[in-house]
Amino acid sequence: MSTADVFAILRGLPWTVALTLGAFLAGAVLGMPLVAARQSRILPLRIVAMVLIQIVRGIPPILWLFIIFFGLGMSVFPISPFNAALAGLGLIAAANMAEIYRGALASIHFGQWEASSALNLGRWSTLTDVVAPQAFRVALPSAASYLIGLMKETAVASTIGVSELAFQGNQLSQLTFRGLEVFALVGMFYILLSLPVAWLSRVADSYLQAKVAR
Amino acid sequence: MLPSYEELSAWLPDLLSGLSISLQVTVLSLLIGIPFGLLLALGVLAKSRLTKILALFLVEVGRGAPALVLLQFIYFGLPTSGLTLGSFTAAVIALAWNTGAYTSEIIRASLQSIPHGQREAAVAIGLNRLDALRYVLLPQGLRVALPALLAFSILIFQGTSLCFTIALPELVSRAYEIGSNTFRYFPALLAAGVLYASISIPAALLVSHVEKRAGSYAQR
Amino acid sequence: MDGAVLHLGSGKPTMTEDDALAAKRMPSAKGRARKPLIKLDKLSKHYGNHTVLDGIDLEVMPGEVLAIIGPSGSGKSTLLRCINYLEPPDGGHVTIGDISLNAAAPAGRSELSTLRRSVGMVFQSFNLFPHMTVLRNVSLAQERVLGRSRRNADDRSMQLLKRVGLADKAQQYPGRCSGGQQQRIAIARALALDPEVMLFDEPTSALDPELGLEVLAVMRELAETGMTMIVVTHEMSFAENVSDTVMIMADGKIIEKGPSADVMRNPQQERTKRFLRAVHDR
Repeated sequence: MSTADVFAILRGLPWTVALTLGAFLAGAVLGMPLVAARQSRILPLRIVAMVLIQIVRGIPPILWLFIIFFGLGMSVFPISPFNAALAGLGLIAAANMAEIYRGALASIHFGQWEASSALNLGRWSTLTDVVAPQAFRVALPSAASYLIGLMKETAVASTIGVSELAFQGNQLSQLTFRGLEVFALVGMFYILLSLPVAWLSRVADSYLQAKVAR
Repeated sequence: MLPSYEELSAWLPDLLSGLSISLQVTVLSLLIGIPFGLLLALGVLAKSRLTKILALFLVEVGRGAPALVLLQFIYFGLPTSGLTLGSFTAAVIALAWNTGAYTSEIIRASLQSIPHGQREAAVAIGLNRLDALRYVLLPQGLRVALPALLAFSILIFQGTSLCFTIALPELVSRAYEIGSNTFRYFPALLAAGVLYASISIPAALLVSHVEKRAGSYAQR
Repeated sequence: MDGAVLHLGSGKPTMTEDDALAAKRMPSAKGRARKPLIKLDKLSKHYGNHTVLDGIDLEVMPGEVLAIIGPSGSGKSTLLRCINYLEPPDGGHVTIGDISLNAAAPAGRSELSTLRRSVGMVFQSFNLFPHMTVLRNVSLAQERVLGRSRRNADDRSMQLLKRVGLADKAQQYPGRCSGGQQQRIAIARALALDPEVMLFDEPTSALDPELGLEVLAVMRELAETGMTMIVVTHEMSFAENVSDTVMIMADGKIIEKGPSADVMRNPQQERTKRFLRAVHDR
């Protein structure tokens, strides 16, 4: 495997990173109103959110990308492969982050809500000042783990023509007929890419643990 | 935007045939992958250095590489070194590897979550390592692992959609084919989506039910 | 108390394993034997910089009931767990009967297995196996370790369950039994391997006083049949009335040791006096 080949594959790296971060950001942000709806006291809102989350998570990512790129892209409005992938992965990320937030909120001891209520903090203030900061700490490991998973999901974008890592690998393999080494290399890149995220997550987690009095 | 009744009835046989293949791949991958995951979990905990390193390698690669890349590696990559496999076989091998890697971590975490006293009691009454695993630790560990294993099974089912890229005639590829023939992409893909959801969503509800029941068991 | 134990011996017409063992123990009754059953020589254990056991020397005679009491962190539990090598000591010798293990030479699997067969252990948190019936809990080790057939193992288990007053719970799962019942089952499970000595690690600390009484009654019966027992406990009345010898530990060392009546009522060491006073004031 020549260095030229390695660089050919790495051409896809910026796309992979952009997709991963973009989708994660979209998911982290959109997940918040989604979980708020999910936990809301208004029953119809709760049901709509629940159904939405289930549907989004119940359909495989590649199919979502196809629906958006081929389905909508062909008939309703043209959309670039990258944007379609971003939209699809962002949608899925939002649903998954909403579930992560839900789990984190549920894990906060009920006593926190009770104490806030006794101190006459409103529901909103309790959420933002008391519960959310604690939930954030709880959610961090799951969110980091999801980020790594999301990065691997971005490989499906190759199927709709986004020139990220997996796409470049596929191209190179067809060009050189050396599929074994090429795909092994691509796999290795993904594994290496996950290492800094895993490390950062451990660092952040221990930093946050240290701040909490027990 | 939505398929008409005539379209649906025309498409359904193809789509269901694709779904059947997806399900077959899912079941086989799980049947092979989960025992494989158990072996890997024990391998990672083994004393022999060689076993441990081999197991760790298989786990880290099986987990760390995207399922898509594993599929491509087995289907496109292996032939260049002489071994050619059909898409169904390649799909099962790649997904079983993926399953094994993830479930080994699930099982390992479950084994570690068993109260330490159980291991001590097993040691105190003289059970050897193998017996302790077989009679005391694994039965409890697998009960704890069950919700996670079920949740993962749903992911594998969805993962079979990736086999589109290795020319397996599963559900997504059927829907895409119908779309490219009729230019009715959205309805066809939507129909496929509904079929996926019709299995994933009830399965997910089953998982939360099992989780709640497992939670009450773990209370003891 | 639901029929907790009050008979000695098994009252069976023919000579069985049970009778033979009882016969072996009876004559060498409390404190009147030649050679110590358990001998600890300079037993020590550290966790990092912290010394948990500081060169403990101890002898326990066959049939003797030794109660170990003392403040938390004194090393009592660790001492117990070193005897059956649940935690390997860092220094010293452990001798049980004919088996002697040296901390310096790591013990082989078969040696450990033989050692643990002669030692039964009862834990503070019972540690029954929740996924099997009570009967299976008691039978499992007999089948796997002693190689008894399922039939024989189950028969013996029923004998033992009858002895601790819980024969009717045989087909139940541990989760449906009270704490006191679980602990009595744990005792039966430990007895199933016909051990030479029984170790008890704060057996009643996790129980309500009422449930604790059931367990103490079983332990008392066991003591009266001549079983060698080492009991780490906070139950002062057990220490005073049932055990032959009482040993006070603090900071990893033996502070005082002697016949129970003497130590409990007439302690010599200041540390002992302090401890007993604190216990009394509660």
